[in-house]
Amino acid sequence: MIPRRDLLKGSSNSLLLCLLEQQPMYGYQIVKELEVRSQGYFKFKEGTLYPALHRLEKSGLILGKWQMLPNGRQRRYYHITARGQDKLAMEKTQWQDFLAAIKLILQPEPASP
Amino acid sequence: MTSEFIQYLESIRYRAKLGGPRENEVLSELETHIEDRLQELTDSGISEEEAIRTCLGQMGSPKLVARQIYEAYSQGSWKQVLLASMPHLLFGGLFALNWWQHIGWLSALLLLVLATTVYGWWHGKPTWVFSWLGYCLLPVLAVGLILLYLPRGWSFLAIPIYVPLALWWLFRVIIQTTRKDWLFSSLMLLPMPIFIGWFLAISPGAKLTETSLQRAYYFAPWIGLSFVTLAATIAAFIRVRQRWLRVGLLATSGLLTLTLVVYYAFGRLNTLTFLGLILVMWGVFLLPPLLERQLRNSRKVLPKPEAIPTSGCE
Repeated sequence: MIPRRDLLKGSSNSLLLCLLEQQPMYGYQIVKELEVRSQGYFKFKEGTLYPALHRLEKSGLILGKWQMLPNGRQRRYYHITARGQDKLAMEKTQWQDFLAAIKLILQPEPASP
Repeated sequence: MTSEFIQYLESIRYRAKLGGPRENEVLSELETHIEDRLQELTDSGISEEEAIRTCLGQMGSPKLVARQIYEAYSQGSWKQVLLASMPHLLFGGLFALNWWQHIGWLSALLLLVLATTVYGWWHGKPTWVFSWLGYCLLPVLAVGLILLYLPRGWSFLAIPIYVPLALWWLFRVIIQTTRKDWLFSSLMLLPMPIFIGWFLAISPGAKLTETSLQRAYYFAPWIGLSFVTLAATIAAFIRVRQRWLRVGLLATSGLLTLTLVVYYAFGRLNTLTFLGLILVMWGVFLLPPLLERQLRNSRKVLPKPEAIPTSGCE
């Protein structure tokens, strides 16, 4: 059986870009959102989120900006860039093709008489 | 922030080796994340000790987080590759084309090395500056060597003044470099055993004579080749992300280049000298991490991550 951690490793960039496409978020918010949306399926060591975000930022796919919250605290919000959106669109197509192919194998259509 | 978290963040700071404003930014982000998580855990009604334990468990080991942060930033661009390998290529070219005999070319190259090093040192000490810095140590060694050839009285007068001064300066440079990352000290010192090896090959008695110059002329293409090997190593070093691979690259390349020196020196270096050079090479690799450990232990107070940089705030 493939460990869940390995499945997440291969898809973490797409998942992060996908979340940030909808709205800019900060690290802790991303962890919570990912947990809620995947109904607890995606759980990982939270400290490792930041290297992943910084890798994406270094590649120019996202951009981090410090923002002051109403309660006076500061958070680093990540925004998806135009380059990130292009990359996400490409990855989404790849994932859809991949999932369609997996589905064809896992749930083959019954042969027509 | 409790002492457990300060230690956690300090451990990441030590291992990630980012330095500068980026380091503060990453640590501030982790700190705010820990604060949020801790708040949520204590709000859920669990004790503070339990919350701290759970939070640290959820964050992951500092070693893992630091390694991933290091790998996120360690890879240099191709421009940095060119800049870092440039001094080795220039010295390689100087010998391969036998221009080392022209004082004009040699002076121009040393001046360029000095100017580039000073520029890089005062502009945030990027990774590429350390391979240039290694060549700045050469004139210091060369002057020390020249002092041996002064008239006897002058030598006795100059050497006791010059040697402690040169050693003090060398030690200062090594300490400052090691504070950034011990690996850069090894990178900086890497050409030293190669230079010593070639020097002993052309002057077995450690004395420069007319024959030494003839030998240097004869060995020049191989001297050039050993610098090109160093340039290739540095290029790979800059592009590789993993720290263990970087350490392996420097160690393998050092050993390989020394073997090349001994092989092309056509028996002018005996086994004992080769073993001595290997010892110098291991000194180059082992001294900086030991020094770094010493420097770390001498820091009595664990500093709190500095305030979040305000330049990027909206």
